[in-house]
Amino acid sequence: MSTRILALLAGLSLTACGTEQKSDADSAIVALSPREQLIRLSVDLRGVHPSEAELAAIEANPALYEDYVDAFLDDHRFSGRIADIFNSRFLTRTGASYGLSASGFDMPAIVNAANNEQLKLVERIVENELPYTEIVTADYTMANPVLALALDLDYPEGAVGWEKSHYTDGREHAGVLSMTTTWLRYTSMGGNANRSRANAVSKMLLCDDYLSRPIVLNRAAVDQLTVDPETAINTNASCQSCHSTLDPLAAHFFGFFVYDDDSMFEDPTVYRPEREEGWRLYAEKSPGYYGTPTSGLGELASLIADDQRFVGCAVKTVFEGLTQRTVVDEDWAELTDHLVAFEDSGLLIKPLVKSIVMADEYVAKDVLDEDLALRIPSVKMVSSAQLSDIVAAKTGYRWEFAGVDIVTNRSAGVPTLLGDIDGLNMTSRNYRPSVGAVFVQERLAYAAAWAVVDHDFDPDREGDAKLLKYVPWSATPDSHPDEFEFQMRELYRDITGLALADDAEEPAALVQVWRQLYSVEGSSKKAWAGVVSAVLRDPAILTY
Amino acid sequence: MRNINRRRFIRDSAALTALAGMGWKPSMAHAAQGERKFLFFFASGAWDSTAVFDPHHGSDGVDHMPDSFTRTIGGLKHTANDLEMESVSRFFSRWGDRAAIVNGIDAHTVGHESGRMMTMTGTSADNYPDWATVLAANGQGEYPLPHVVFGGPAFGGHLAGSVVRAGGGTLLDLIDGRIVGTSDLAAPMLSAPSDQILDAFVYDRVANFTGDRAGLRGATRERTDALMANIDRSLEIEGRKFEAGLGNLGNGMLDQALKATEMMRLGLTRTAMIGIPGGWDTHGGNDPQEVQFNNFFEAIDMLMEHLASTPGQSTPWQIDEVVVVALSEFGRTPRFNGSQGKDHWPYNSAMVVGSGIRGGRSLGASDGGLIGLPVDFATGQQSDTGDILGSENFGAALLKLGGVDPATILPGVQPFDALLRNA
Repeated sequence: MSTRILALLAGLSLTACGTEQKSDADSAIVALSPREQLIRLSVDLRGVHPSEAELAAIEANPALYEDYVDAFLDDHRFSGRIADIFNSRFLTRTGASYGLSASGFDMPAIVNAANNEQLKLVERIVENELPYTEIVTADYTMANPVLALALDLDYPEGAVGWEKSHYTDGREHAGVLSMTTTWLRYTSMGGNANRSRANAVSKMLLCDDYLSRPIVLNRAAVDQLTVDPETAINTNASCQSCHSTLDPLAAHFFGFFVYDDDSMFEDPTVYRPEREEGWRLYAEKSPGYYGTPTSGLGELASLIADDQRFVGCAVKTVFEGLTQRTVVDEDWAELTDHLVAFEDSGLLIKPLVKSIVMADEYVAKDVLDEDLALRIPSVKMVSSAQLSDIVAAKTGYRWEFAGVDIVTNRSAGVPTLLGDIDGLNMTSRNYRPSVGAVFVQERLAYAAAWAVVDHDFDPDREGDAKLLKYVPWSATPDSHPDEFEFQMRELYRDITGLALADDAEEPAALVQVWRQLYSVEGSSKKAWAGVVSAVLRDPAILTY
Repeated sequence: MRNINRRRFIRDSAALTALAGMGWKPSMAHAAQGERKFLFFFASGAWDSTAVFDPHHGSDGVDHMPDSFTRTIGGLKHTANDLEMESVSRFFSRWGDRAAIVNGIDAHTVGHESGRMMTMTGTSADNYPDWATVLAANGQGEYPLPHVVFGGPAFGGHLAGSVVRAGGGTLLDLIDGRIVGTSDLAAPMLSAPSDQILDAFVYDRVANFTGDRAGLRGATRERTDALMANIDRSLEIEGRKFEAGLGNLGNGMLDQALKATEMMRLGLTRTAMIGIPGGWDTHGGNDPQEVQFNNFFEAIDMLMEHLASTPGQSTPWQIDEVVVVALSEFGRTPRFNGSQGKDHWPYNSAMVVGSGIRGGRSLGASDGGLIGLPVDFATGQQSDTGDILGSENFGAALLKLGGVDPATILPGVQPFDALLRNA
């Protein structure tokens, strides 16, 4: 627990009175309860539910919300959450190794290295409170020992984690623009002449997909494309509507082009400075950025960093990631508030996030305005990483097979069942819970519940019980009726973070479930595992 | 009304099993009788349509693989190569009367991601559901796993709640439940009655959760409705898992197809998407196209054999209720490039086999430079007064084949009726 949170909890008694909730009667937005607000905030910024102490504190004093925002922004897990959000824009976590090899490391380690060079730069930007422009202007890259070995990087001796590193092949460093794994993820075939890469840059950094532009090619244009595509691209008005800016952008990336002059494919991990002027062989468009000539990646990076679309794209990415909304024109006024906060801070991520999570819309439980209600989901869905972390935080258990967390690892496909992207075929999250998500939650819940029972009823266990704290394993509802009732009530609160009303039916219902399971299985351990799993299957785990 | 009865049934069932140890054996799939099911195959990367579907031997404008030639079986023309693609001709000789090839389809793009979107949704706009999802969501039946995605593209759009991602086969392991016994900390399975007791409790919790939010609208309502609907589906699937017997199949393309059609036969699923294995983006050399096409046709030949010998859900044989659709995001250039490969090309072909198809014919047309020609949408034949066939027209015909009015999804788009037996 951070010192900031400890300070908050310690100061609780001094600030408990005279506060108001984020909603008011005249507002079109009804806010979540303070507990629900803090759960939403914590899941978004830390990936886990708040502790009961934190929940009790904000319940007593809802005005602590902003203090918790500040505290959670400083949490060590926050940068990872932002990296997850930017993965939805960069789509670099594809599970592919891109043919990288690093002697002594297994394939999961190589895939991890190949998929995270860009996102570790995002994390560094967040952790060190650097301006977001660093994503393209960084004069270094990020690497761990695996990536450093695979790409022969200058990596700090003796280091073990992701650190600032440098390519030693003479390339100009320009953040994600000069990372080898960017160009392994976004390849260009010979005749494509880096145009797909240029569009990838446009999508990643400007949120502008050339391919979403409506194109009408007349018959003459199609015929011309057939005979001489490069001339058609350079002269036809329909083609020029995209290629006049796309091709000069593409011209920056020929040092990473993997085809030689005879169109033969070569090692894609090698940077070749001698190919920098390869654009002369294709569209003959020299490097430039929307009409401004450039001398290379460095100038390109500066121009992108100065582009208002780059700033807007970052705001859109973070906003959509945190709110689970898709920005539409009607959101412009709301988005502008966050854009201003971002720009006023010097393009720092934390103030941007704070602006978003402090907005009334963020903590909405209900939206009275019909149009707004269509756009604001007041029920949010956890990602696979959040689900794994939430369950692990409550039970100490991760659903591992041969040491690999199946909930977050892509190999078995569980993340996509939960609605996550895979970076290739599924490039936008599914926020509507599917039957796959229901089954994942059910089986994960039981596996975790069994681990809890295994631990808590172990007579030789070390440490405190995880969840079953109030009932001895040999007890029954007949021998310990009050303890059973109390345990069920506490179980529900510990797992969901939400306290039951005094007259709630759940405790008695759970006791009844225990009795039924015991009658069928004849095992106290199985009965408890079933009860714990039933609570772990609560919608409050899958949603927030 | 059915949902209310179902909830009561589940609760009552759980209570009964707890007391009497009786198993819940619901048979609550309400799949409509006679409704067509759709099995989509997708070659991601873009196939060379001339390698099989759209032969132009004799045209100077199109390069073909060595030793290939045009073979005509009935009204179907295809590129044959008896050395490299024996399975292709065998397929058309056996199943050609049920197959339609559609050529000259304009994908409107040569970008992979946009091509997948255009081919599967008929539009480049975000958040449109693909053909398979629309068909699954609009089925007359109540399918627990409406659209199962084993691989290939998936555009759920506003109907994403109908899309079930099979997760490399893991979904079936999850349904089965034995997966909890194979993790690093193995847990013993509970008996079926215990499972049902827990399901009943969870069902009530979810019903309370969604009930508390019943007054909410928009995106919130969509999510809570989806949660409730899928709890419903999960219970039904669990109750019927013993019927499927799918656990013994592997995860190859044919295995996935067999799983999908078995789920269709049981009324669990209406549509499925399967990726066709291979590296189809053959800029650096076109040779893999033949190998991959041969493998694909070998697999669907066996699939058709299976469908022809397996009772359908509502027809004597599954072949009479399942439609197989093979697609790719666009085609490849008519001429080889410097690497003997082929680059991206907007004109493409597709193949549809099975129920309701006016089979045994090649439809649509492309010229000697592999450019789509205007066709009469009623006959499918080249016509100077016709229109260029777009991926949206092709998809609209699939919707029509599946009983969905295309105008409700893509207003103003004319379906390619020539594909349909009863247009």
